[in-house]
Amino acid sequence: MDTINKMIVVKSHKVLPSDVAIKLYESKPDIFVKETCYGVLVTGERDVVENIILDIRKLDPYGIFIKERGFSPGEPFRCRSFRHGGSKPGFHNLQNDDAMLTYIASGLKALDKGEIPVETNKKKKLDIDKFVEIIKGSEVAK
Amino acid sequence: MTVTETPVRIAELSCGAEYSGIQPEIDSAVKQVNAVMVYPEVETSEIETIEEELGLKVASPDLKLMMARAKSIVTGKVHVDAVFISTCFRCAEAAIVRSEVRRYINENTRIPVISYSFTERTTAATLLTRMEALTTTARRKSLLAREKQTGITAGIDSGSTTTKCVVMKDNKIIGKGWVPTIKVLESADEAFNNAMKEAGVTRSDIQALGTTGYGRFLIGEHLKADLMQEEITVNSKGAVYLAEKQKGPATVLDIGGMDNKAISVLDGIPGMFTMGGICAGASGRFLEMTAKRLGVEITKLGALAIEGDAKNVKMNSYCIVFGIQSLVNNLAAGCTPQDVAAAACHSVAEQLFEQQLQEVDVKEPVIMVGGTALIEGLPKAVEELLKLKVIVPPNAQYIGAVGAALLSSGFISK
Amino acid sequence: MKVFIYPTNSLILSDLVERFGHKPLAMMQVIGKKVRTQGLDSPPLNVTPEDPKFGLKYAAVEVPSGVRGRMALFDPLLTQAEAAVVVVDPVLSFGCQGCARTNELVNFLLRGKKIPLLRLDYPKDEEEAKLFVYKISEFLKSLKPEEVKK
Repeated sequence: MDTINKMIVVKSHKVLPSDVAIKLYESKPDIFVKETCYGVLVTGERDVVENIILDIRKLDPYGIFIKERGFSPGEPFRCRSFRHGGSKPGFHNLQNDDAMLTYIASGLKALDKGEIPVETNKKKKLDIDKFVEIIKGSEVAK
Repeated sequence: MTVTETPVRIAELSCGAEYSGIQPEIDSAVKQVNAVMVYPEVETSEIETIEEELGLKVASPDLKLMMARAKSIVTGKVHVDAVFISTCFRCAEAAIVRSEVRRYINENTRIPVISYSFTERTTAATLLTRMEALTTTARRKSLLAREKQTGITAGIDSGSTTTKCVVMKDNKIIGKGWVPTIKVLESADEAFNNAMKEAGVTRSDIQALGTTGYGRFLIGEHLKADLMQEEITVNSKGAVYLAEKQKGPATVLDIGGMDNKAISVLDGIPGMFTMGGICAGASGRFLEMTAKRLGVEITKLGALAIEGDAKNVKMNSYCIVFGIQSLVNNLAAGCTPQDVAAAACHSVAEQLFEQQLQEVDVKEPVIMVGGTALIEGLPKAVEELLKLKVIVPPNAQYIGAVGAALLSSGFISK
Repeated sequence: MKVFIYPTNSLILSDLVERFGHKPLAMMQVIGKKVRTQGLDSPPLNVTPEDPKFGLKYAAVEVPSGVRGRMALFDPLLTQAEAAVVVVDPVLSFGCQGCARTNELVNFLLRGKKIPLLRLDYPKDEEEAKLFVYKISEFLKSLKPEEVKK
């Protein structure tokens, strides 16, 4: 049977990681749940876990983000307590992603409201002739 | 080494080891020398700013992480006893970072560093000697601080090609033995007996015995040695002792029968070192094969090379197969044996320069040791490449044996 | 549809692809399989020296072993990919994404697959994030849904 781990990152005003954990426990199938600093890790058979997380998302669609995780919770080869210091490489990735989640939530809300964001034009490199003009201008100013 | 010793903390600064499938090999080598790998703690923000701080811009995030971890070591945020820097062989970006991180740590701390580039074929056995040297340097500073040999001690250096032995008494060599390595134990016994005979002593007179080289463990157990030590620390100690350069910086070069070592030493203790082993083109074996092809004794090759000019010979490879073939072709084309001998020395020196000396900082005095140092053309070729004077101390061929005898005298009181 | 994501360990991309009814093809699945494989014991990732050899499918032997080993991990993802969402300038990411040469090769190979491909800049503020989510949503809508999960 295919066992998977899902990482549930909770970035919500309404829901706490403990709420997610309780909800997972309530579903009562044979799963393993572990609360972490960023949310909850859940381990179990693929079908079971994938079904449960549909309900978990509903707790706060804008404040709960989920991805699969390769390692099981407490895996000694990745767990920092066994690795003498430094975090696993994925931790820095997660920290970067986490910093962006509030904005992503805004994006999801805007999407649900039917907003169509406008793409702003990116700045292009300064035209060379214009640049020459500026340089000449600065020489005159001297 | 006893298991009750506190494990040495080695920081692993690496890129690609896990993805080359060799991390278990690194872990296994570390475990065998009673050390633990440490992954220095860094903040994500520190990784973001490290390029600006060090002034080195790199594309690979894992190399940025490596640099940030190095900073954690230098600033003392994390305590480690030694550093192992390793990246994939043939990665240009990583080679630059590996070299600069090594220099950064060496310039700012007294923590011993070893750098190594691996392939998927790297094994724990290959790494073991290096890890052993790293942990010895970290763990046995007081032993390595020894500058004089005392009492009657002996050292045996079991190399891949020859086995050397010396007996020392009151800081002087009183007996020597040098035999080809055929059967490790028998050759060691023979070299040991020859040295004792010359010294006029018996086994019971020897107060302490040290072994080094490939066969160190086997011989060490067989002869109940007090010290069984890898050749990196032993040879660097032996080199500065014989060259009388025990204080300050020095660079020790040792071209062995099968591999070669470049060691950057400070006050007799290795600070940075590297050991080649991927290619035999930079080994004594290359010179041995050249001598055989030229029909001269290996001991005569050096003098022949001194008379020749390497520039007269075009070599298209430094490989032990194709390079030798190239020399043969040159002979056939009319080149003199003198020029060919010089070209062989130049080829080996160039390989050492390209592959090993880029991994350590070369500081004078440069001391060449090992049997190959006696092939006069070789130190000359190294001098030409490095543009500095190379010291070949007396008894350079007994370097490992002398180092082992010197260090083992630290065990006499025990 | 099976959607390749880049960075392939991204929480945001993995979440959005799944949220919008497709299957993200992420490195975590490959690593999960690797570490759960019985009979292999090459921690931490269970990548063995056989993987860099398998990676010869993508790069010659003079390419560093770390690149080839990573390519072996990318192989099932690249093989299965039916569409891809690629962040062109991701912020730092490590481990499986830690090697720039591998990342360049992966992006090149993705292009060669001629599958629907969305390339985006990493958002720097809220407005850009809105556009980021919108573009991903529109792109994924345009693909044949695998299974809409609500």
